[in-house]
Amino acid sequence: MMTLSLEDKKTIQLDRMRYTKNTFSSSMVYLAILFNVLYFVSIYESDVGSWYYAWIIGVSIVYNLVFMLISFLCSEGVKNYKLGYGYLLLGLGVGQIVRMFILPAMAHAAVTKRVIEKKAVEVPVMETPQYVLTIVLLALSAACCFAAGLVAVKRSRTLAAYNASLVEKA
Amino acid sequence: MANISLQHLDKIYDNKVQAVFDFNLEVKDGEFIVLVGPSGCGKSTTLRMVAGLEDISAGKLLLDGKDITSAPAKDRDMAMVFQNYALYGHMTVYENMAFSLTLRKEDPNVIHKKVLAAAEILGLTDQLNKKPKQLSGGQRQRVAMGRAIVRNPKVFLFDEPLSNLDAKLRGATRREILLLHKRMNATMLYVTHDQTEALTLADRIVCMSMGHVQQVGTPLELYDTPANLFVASFIGLPPMNFFNVRMEGDQLEGSFFAYKLTAEQKELLKDYQGRELVLGVRPEDIETGGDIDVQVFSNENLGMSTLVHGRLMGRNTQDAQITCKLRGWCDYKSGDHVNVKFSKCHFFDKETTNAIR
Repeated sequence: MMTLSLEDKKTIQLDRMRYTKNTFSSSMVYLAILFNVLYFVSIYESDVGSWYYAWIIGVSIVYNLVFMLISFLCSEGVKNYKLGYGYLLLGLGVGQIVRMFILPAMAHAAVTKRVIEKKAVEVPVMETPQYVLTIVLLALSAACCFAAGLVAVKRSRTLAAYNASLVEKA
Repeated sequence: MANISLQHLDKIYDNKVQAVFDFNLEVKDGEFIVLVGPSGCGKSTTLRMVAGLEDISAGKLLLDGKDITSAPAKDRDMAMVFQNYALYGHMTVYENMAFSLTLRKEDPNVIHKKVLAAAEILGLTDQLNKKPKQLSGGQRQRVAMGRAIVRNPKVFLFDEPLSNLDAKLRGATRREILLLHKRMNATMLYVTHDQTEALTLADRIVCMSMGHVQQVGTPLELYDTPANLFVASFIGLPPMNFFNVRMEGDQLEGSFFAYKLTAEQKELLKDYQGRELVLGVRPEDIETGGDIDVQVFSNENLGMSTLVHGRLMGRNTQDAQITCKLRGWCDYKSGDHVNVKFSKCHFFDKETTNAIR
């Protein structure tokens, strides 16, 4: 049984990064994409149709596609310790937070008329439970992006510094 | 490392075909054993039985005195290297080498140390981030060996690991395996049909034919004192020449030549007076300058020596074919006659095919 000192472990952990991928960050990005998909699907659970068909639908759909494409690209980038993709993920995380205040908040604040017991009644386009759900999903997606981004930036910098020290030694 | 004892091993498949008959072998700690024989002789089956990839139909297999006949492959502490490398294409070299240890949930830091050490031994340090498809055949085979090394098994098993490599690479990888054995002093079982590999790598060779062990011995023993006609014909390149001869007085009479026996040979063959036997002569044991007439029909210059294929007394029969490996550069033309003599002979009983000793 091989035993390693603490110093050894630290050095080996650094050295391991040269040959292993940053799977934590890339997995977190996949999770962020998953939460984003769930968010997008959950939007349609209520009757947003009467209110939703506006210019905002186009922007929303295009942004979803762009988010998924870029975040997938980032997952590959951070897997290989590319620093730039870490920062991009932090930006995407901010974007997810901003989105909470656009579509879900607007749909929750907006009202639509619905016929209940032969009477026209005004109800929110997005009911509170669904609103909470969409907010939670976006928040989770953002959290995953931040976690992935922060870890990727930290690890990428550490690896770059370690590689530089190896070059110096050589 | 480990001692292995193979006791009366048989392999009978479900369709009643018997691939291995009564295989017995004691492998000492740190020994390099090569199982050699033609295709279908049962050598790979034997190796797979040792690895636990084939059930043993009868007999016992002991590892360091412990009976592992029915133990599953994963509990045998043996690592096998296959002919087709069996690498995971989607993993890097590092991940391929670390895979078995990762499955065992070993500490990643320890795995890292072991992988780097193995890569250093095999000269793969610069290739660790590459995928197998980016490597040459020789490098892939080294990765397969590295995967075995990191496990630090008691026994290494090689199943024709060099068969997919070209001749030059095969030579280089063969030397690497030899160095690896010296460095690790591990017990190794190696299967090949290539006698050059067997002769250069082995501490002892097990020569097999049709499921039976024909001879076990050092490379020199198999080359110099083959136990029977099969071993004599299989070991050595070009193969040994064989002639049916009859012992008459103090000489052996063949269809196209007579070979005068020495006193020692006469004593050895005293029971064969007037009987037929088989005379074997290695091509490299034939020299120019005797009284045996050979008509040349092809001449292959190898640099240090020349392979001369000819016919005794110009006769075109099976018994008259002869191959001589003559020293130096010879320029015989087809149809030329050359006189040769046999400097060393082997004698075999015609009925049993066993060597006469």
